[in-house]
Amino acid sequence: MTPINYSELLQLALPQVIVVVTALVVMAIDLIALRKRAIRIRFTVASALASLGCAAAILQILVHPAQANIFDGMLIANPLTHFVQIALLVLTIFTLLISVDSRFTEHVGEFVLLILIATAGMMFLVGSQDLLVIFISLELLSLSLYILAAFNKRSGQSWEAALKYFLFGGMSAAFLLFGFSLLYGLSNSTSLTRIAGALHGPSLNPLLVIAIVTTALGLGFKIAAAPFHFWAPDVYQGAPAPSAAFIASGSKVASFFVFFQVMALGFAGVNGTVTLSHLVRGWVPVLALMATLSMLLGNLVAIRQTSLRRLLAYSAIAHAGYMLLGILAHTQQSLAALLYYVVTYAFATLGAFAVIAVVEEQRGDDRLSHFDGLGKQAPILSFSLAIFILSLAGIPPLAGFFGKFYLFVTVLAATPNPVDLLWLVVLAIAMSAVSLYYYLRVLKRVYVTPPAIDCNAIHSPAVTQILVLALAAAVILLGCAPNLLLKWIDSAVQASGL
Amino acid sequence: MTWIVQYLWLIPALPILAAGIAALLKQRSRIPAASLAIGSMAASFLLSLCAFAHVLGNHSGDGIQVFNVRWFQFGNEWLKLGWMLDPLTAVMLVMVTFVGLLIFIYSIGYMEHDENFTRFFSFLALFAGAMLGVIIANSLLLLFMCWEIVGLTSYLLIGFWYANPKAAAAAKKAFIVTRIGDLGFLLGMVWLYAQSGTLLFYDAGAGCLEGSSLAHLVARTTILGLTLSSAIGILIFCGAAGKSGQVPLHVWLPDAMEGPTPVSALIHAATMVAAGVFLIARIYPLMAAHAGESLSPTVALQVVTWVGAITAVFGATIAVAQYDIKRILAYSTVSQLGYMMIGLGVGGVAVGMFHLITHAFFKALLFLGAGSVIHGCSGEQDIRRMGGLRKYMPITFAAYAVGMLALCGFPLFFSGFWSKDEILSAAHTWSISQVPFFMGAFGALLTAFYMTRQVYYVFAGSNRLASASYDTPLASDFEDPGHHPTHLPHESPAVMTIPLVILAAFAILLGLIGTPAWPWFQSFLENKSAELSFAAFSNPGILPVMISSSLLVFLGLGLGWYFYGRRPIAIAESTDALATLQPGVFTVLGDAYYVDALYAATILRLNAWSAAASAWLDQWVWNGVVQSVSYFVVGIAWIDNFIDSGVVNTAFDSGCQTASRGGQLLALLQGGRVQTYLRLIGCALVALVIFLLWGAKA
Repeated sequence: MTPINYSELLQLALPQVIVVVTALVVMAIDLIALRKRAIRIRFTVASALASLGCAAAILQILVHPAQANIFDGMLIANPLTHFVQIALLVLTIFTLLISVDSRFTEHVGEFVLLILIATAGMMFLVGSQDLLVIFISLELLSLSLYILAAFNKRSGQSWEAALKYFLFGGMSAAFLLFGFSLLYGLSNSTSLTRIAGALHGPSLNPLLVIAIVTTALGLGFKIAAAPFHFWAPDVYQGAPAPSAAFIASGSKVASFFVFFQVMALGFAGVNGTVTLSHLVRGWVPVLALMATLSMLLGNLVAIRQTSLRRLLAYSAIAHAGYMLLGILAHTQQSLAALLYYVVTYAFATLGAFAVIAVVEEQRGDDRLSHFDGLGKQAPILSFSLAIFILSLAGIPPLAGFFGKFYLFVTVLAATPNPVDLLWLVVLAIAMSAVSLYYYLRVLKRVYVTPPAIDCNAIHSPAVTQILVLALAAAVILLGCAPNLLLKWIDSAVQASGL
Repeated sequence: MTWIVQYLWLIPALPILAAGIAALLKQRSRIPAASLAIGSMAASFLLSLCAFAHVLGNHSGDGIQVFNVRWFQFGNEWLKLGWMLDPLTAVMLVMVTFVGLLIFIYSIGYMEHDENFTRFFSFLALFAGAMLGVIIANSLLLLFMCWEIVGLTSYLLIGFWYANPKAAAAAKKAFIVTRIGDLGFLLGMVWLYAQSGTLLFYDAGAGCLEGSSLAHLVARTTILGLTLSSAIGILIFCGAAGKSGQVPLHVWLPDAMEGPTPVSALIHAATMVAAGVFLIARIYPLMAAHAGESLSPTVALQVVTWVGAITAVFGATIAVAQYDIKRILAYSTVSQLGYMMIGLGVGGVAVGMFHLITHAFFKALLFLGAGSVIHGCSGEQDIRRMGGLRKYMPITFAAYAVGMLALCGFPLFFSGFWSKDEILSAAHTWSISQVPFFMGAFGALLTAFYMTRQVYYVFAGSNRLASASYDTPLASDFEDPGHHPTHLPHESPAVMTIPLVILAAFAILLGLIGTPAWPWFQSFLENKSAELSFAAFSNPGILPVMISSSLLVFLGLGLGWYFYGRRPIAIAESTDALATLQPGVFTVLGDAYYVDALYAATILRLNAWSAAASAWLDQWVWNGVVQSVSYFVVGIAWIDNFIDSGVVNTAFDSGCQTASRGGQLLALLQGGRVQTYLRLIGCALVALVIFLLWGAKA
């Protein structure tokens, strides 16, 4: 074993270090200097400081892009991880800024600290190809998210959801760890590339089968794919809006990336196929099953929802189904398409939650009927909400459309015979059509249905308006000129050699 | 490549730009709108003159200069568009911009009192731009696109007074009928593209009107032994027939007279209806493409000739029995367009185009004259109520008389004589049949007759406008109740009469450029230089035809005088002289051979029936299918939701209630739902493992 050069290690992890240090500084300032101040001031200061920290981390990544691979993938830095980390940091900044106007807690320092810690966890998560580091950073992320979900101590719903999330997450983590330990037993290594080298063979070992299924279960829980989705509707509904937004956006991006890496790298020898006539065992059939279930269940159940957050939760399940197709195809192009999709999806979801937060704050909860006639009362918020929802539905020329289009095209191009995955793509397109129904119902309420007579006027905070407009502009811009982002992703994927 | 070819696109672009800006102006910005339209038109006119001068000075090669640009790529091929400058284009450009400019100016006076003055000029300019686009297009596709815009503006302008249901119906009719022809055009275009791989007319040897492509098209035959070039030509001719009002697609043109009179003059007399003739002239190489050395005309040209001949006689006979001043001119236009088609069919581009140009001037003159009459008579259009206008409107009368004599083809001094004579002499020598010649001659007789009739009705005798009693209303009163012009007719303002005078001058002078002795126009189109030789009159066939057609004109004028001139028409209600002679025939002609009624009874009824059938299918069959699918989906969603929230949630909720009654928080979280959740995960895990181990065969 080569001796460890700690200064190099620190240099490599400097962005993460910046984030963690920022977290500690923010908490210290909040607890020492601002305890007696109004919550709004505390949130403003904490969010601003934390955002600065994240910006500094982004700057560090951009200015000193490191290239490294330490201990067989324990810590990795290449253009691809840089891209994902920057995306995560940007999403974190948006989440922090959304929370400026929230009033659900007095523990501002802790809240911001946890968000930053979760961000650091995600950054480690995407910067590693080693089972141990992946598991530990996943736990770092998950534990922070459990607490974030529970943060509104005044709301029974919040901690109830958090406890469910925790129990559920704990069990999946146990399964994941079980799967990882089996993998270690089978291959004598925790490095994904070495595992792949040890695993390939003509037939599947029963132990390997269990490893595949438990790994898929553990990561499927993180991305809320059916049938491991049960937590999502409750958490989306119960958690404070910024926490829910964070769980729905940043955490999704990191989880999908890691899911892709584990499956495409670690199980590279045991893919299997899902051609309808000829099914070969491997991880692909398992994921195909999850994708099918997610698309069907997510879209169909979303139709019956009466709360916008629950609707978004089921829509997230459906989107997880689409995005699983990108993992199924496991090519460089499909990874690029998946990243584009998940980032633009995260933007749209984040924006939608920002709008929900405002309406909820002033109308009590997020029932769909509270959005009646919003178009007249808060034109900017409504316009942005419309953009987000239409992008989620995949209407051109918004980013969601291009994401879907590119994803499906790369999936079809992935196998030598384009017909292999065709049935999944056809299902995905059909289900997208179904999804239009519930998405448009939201917009109908916003723009067509007159508001209830007794409802009070909506006051839209300036910060939120600017934020959602920026997000909406990003969604439109990325839809009209996808190359802005895609070129970057493509070159990053090429450079990473995944 | 000179600048004028490169920037030829400016000619249509300027009016279109003006239209766009005028469309954005406010309703009361009347002066900016009119000056924009007229200014752009004047600029286009000047550019057209430059183009014309350029062509005049260019005698090299075939005289065709093209400028092609790439539009977009599909597959490995580029779709190219382009424009071209050749004598045909140059002549049409000058004619359209000049007549258009005069009519724009005239419109200021005519539309003075209309509140939608701005919109009118915007539409006019858009029309002019599109028409100029048709003329300069070097690609059948570009031509077709401009052609469709022309159709659209025609619709907009006919229906300009859309509050009048007749105008709205006429606009719709014009649009739909021309669309039927355009279907043929589109099919022909697609077929041509499939066969030749390009829609550019001229592209340095690779265009669809050039040697290699034509040779390919001529060599293949389709059904009935038709060469491919003829088949495509006939399909494209369908579009031309729709636009140029050829039988049986002529029905829209008379109705189109519901539009404002300048529109009738510009679009439905001088320019748009001539677009069909122009189209045939443009693709003439395709229509006339021979296999080998055969000298007999192609099938496509025979079709053009026969349709033209039938239309010429058909329109002329109907015009005899009309009372509306504009409808007479409309049917006369139909008939004259027929002549142009005969000219193209029997004599070639120069013969047809010469009549097109002369007709454009004198028919615009007649329409503007009619507009002036209508304006002077406060909107009256029925010739039975006019009479004696010579005293009140001397300038209009003089100009109208010039136009009328030019249309009749009065010998030697009027342009219509020379162009019509040329068509007749070409028809006389046609190798297939003499019948088109006799039909054309008969049409010429009728033309002289109905124009004499109209002039006697309108300008001679005593004024019947004020004296006409409305106690016994005429047929047209039922269509336009409450319309009672009272004050005496008056001459129109100078802004309307000056264009009339200019057009009258051209109606006389234009004939001189195409006489057999000095066929400058014909040579110009063929890019040769003309020589003056009076000996041409002695060529066999020229003089006899000239003399016989002159005699026919005199006969027509004489008959007109005999029926309508001998005894002045005293009262509006007196029966038409021809109607007393042959009431049955007159009624049939008055109703335009009942073509509209025939269409209403056959095509329209069939259409209504199939629409009803489709509606029934749509409502009961397709809708049923869609509905049942959607009910099915909603049902599944409902079941899904029931399982997810009903079974799982209810179990949890009841667990909650039981537990909270006991006040035990932890018991609440451990009871019911979470257990169910976790149990479900376990089941999923086991199911997946089983699926992998046994379900999928390695």
